[in-house]
Amino acid sequence: MLFREIIQILKIQLDILDTINIVTLVGGALLSRIVEAYVGEYASGKSECAVNRALHLLETEADVTLVDLDFVEPFYTLRPIREELKERGLGVVAWVTEETLGLGETGSLMKPEMRWVLRRPGNIILDIGYGVKGAQILNLIEGAHEDPDLKIFAVINSGRPLTSSFEDVRDYILGLGPVHGLINNSHLGDDTDIAFIQEGAKMVTAVAKSVGLPMIATCADERFKTDLGEFDVVGNPVRYLKRYMPRTFW
Amino acid sequence: MAEKPIQGEKRVFMTGNEVVAWAAVAAQADIMYGYPITPQNEIMHYWTRMAPKFDKKFLQTEDEISAGFTTLGGTLSGKRAFTATAGPGNTLMQEPMSLAEMLRIPAVFVIQQRGGPSTATVIYSQQEVTLTTFGGNGEGHRIVYATATHQELFDYTIKAFNTAWKYRFPTFVLGDGYQAKMRESLMIYDPESKGITMVPTEPIVGAPGMPGVDRDPVHLRNCLNTEEELYDIVKEHQRNYDAIWAEIEEHDAQNCEDADIVIVSAGVVCRSALVAMEQLRREGIKVGYFRPITLRPFPANAMKAALANAKKMLIVESAEGQLARLVKDAIYGLTVPIETLFKPGVGITSEEIIDRIQGLNK
Repeated sequence: MLFREIIQILKIQLDILDTINIVTLVGGALLSRIVEAYVGEYASGKSECAVNRALHLLETEADVTLVDLDFVEPFYTLRPIREELKERGLGVVAWVTEETLGLGETGSLMKPEMRWVLRRPGNIILDIGYGVKGAQILNLIEGAHEDPDLKIFAVINSGRPLTSSFEDVRDYILGLGPVHGLINNSHLGDDTDIAFIQEGAKMVTAVAKSVGLPMIATCADERFKTDLGEFDVVGNPVRYLKRYMPRTFW
Repeated sequence: MAEKPIQGEKRVFMTGNEVVAWAAVAAQADIMYGYPITPQNEIMHYWTRMAPKFDKKFLQTEDEISAGFTTLGGTLSGKRAFTATAGPGNTLMQEPMSLAEMLRIPAVFVIQQRGGPSTATVIYSQQEVTLTTFGGNGEGHRIVYATATHQELFDYTIKAFNTAWKYRFPTFVLGDGYQAKMRESLMIYDPESKGITMVPTEPIVGAPGMPGVDRDPVHLRNCLNTEEELYDIVKEHQRNYDAIWAEIEEHDAQNCEDADIVIVSAGVVCRSALVAMEQLRREGIKVGYFRPITLRPFPANAMKAALANAKKMLIVESAEGQLARLVKDAIYGLTVPIETLFKPGVGITSEEIIDRIQGLNK
């Protein structure tokens, strides 16, 4: 009986501590930090968008952390460029390949610091694994569902056959769970042209309107900067991407 | 009737595994059987994702032995059936693959090679060349296409169904973990829009009518009473295989006529070999490029012709000489010295090939 009471008291104390943590977090959040999670289809370009967004933020913000939460099948992972990104001043939470030696086929374990990453101060960019299952990784991140700053952006590439039509993208977004905005990242790798980006912008923007979500941006390779300008054909701001991911094959 | 998965043609950006799933749908495959193993999983993921939309079926089995045998069952019933596997799964599947050779079952197998032996890595290798070409307790009466690009994964997956059903030998698409996971653009298409007609399928067992009355009975045997029966059957298979050899074999030879050294490679390594050849040619070094596209049957005559004037050949592969064994068998009688760049389970860059050839020329 005594043992059960002690356990009960301990549990209450833990609950109080947790509540304090959440309050602290919410309090901290009032300082308007940026916390963005990038989700999307396999090969949609979410990692490229996330890396570039983090580096762009770093130009004006002192404290930016990029988190590699792509556990579904991390064949493209931030691991190979982790040190390079760190040298540029970015906080990077990601495994390095050497740390995963010996883990075998389960080499995509969660690093403990990933679980608590939202408790860090400053701006945080999360690169999330693909599909609906990928978005569920947020269930493992402490405070993800309470963090008022967390915005989840779905990255759409109309070059992906399963997200190439209005209907398919709409169905995809509606099945994805909480999403706060859409990003058009329509491309065909090296074979991309401006017309393809603009057609994607029109389609993704139409989906955004139909599901009542804002368009955050169109993303495009920096080689299109001169011809594409600051806004796409439907008026979304264009974020230019320097391509890092071709160097990040596991 | 489900809508056509692809109208005309369309440029898309995909991973290799997705390409295979889309190609199978485009080829009007009816059913996939499978058991999960990296790096082929997304073939199953995307096939099952598309299956309800296009009225396709999928059966997940308890292991790869079962996946292979159920693929044969589906094929025998007249369905355009396929499976996909890798590494240890490929090892387990050799028994049904052998049965397909014995009974001439036109099943299609997609292999995405991973590191071996055994479980090894989930990533990449070319260490399943021997297993895929000559695995099983038979004579390698199978057809194996080794792809290098996403476009080829699409083209040859479609082709594999037609080759299998036309010639009635089990047919393989041999990719690898890099191709499986890499992403690049390609043109996907409705085969009809390219003038490709899918070879019709038919029930091999259970056809309509009374056997012996309305039609000849089908007597499929893989367990024989006498050595002589086996001898006759295997010899017949070999005669049939030899007869179609020239029709099926495919290769790519470039700049071999005046080459001092010919780079020989297969699969995804060809991409590096091609870049190396082009770079070295620009530097004035006479380098040629030879690539067997079919590893079974092997384009032996074309290879001998490509090496006719060569002073050396360099065999490059992500395995410890598995392609080299096929090459040596094919070119028996030639005296061209063989140099090798073997990197089992590891990717090979064009720079490494260039360094090697520049080293040979010093």
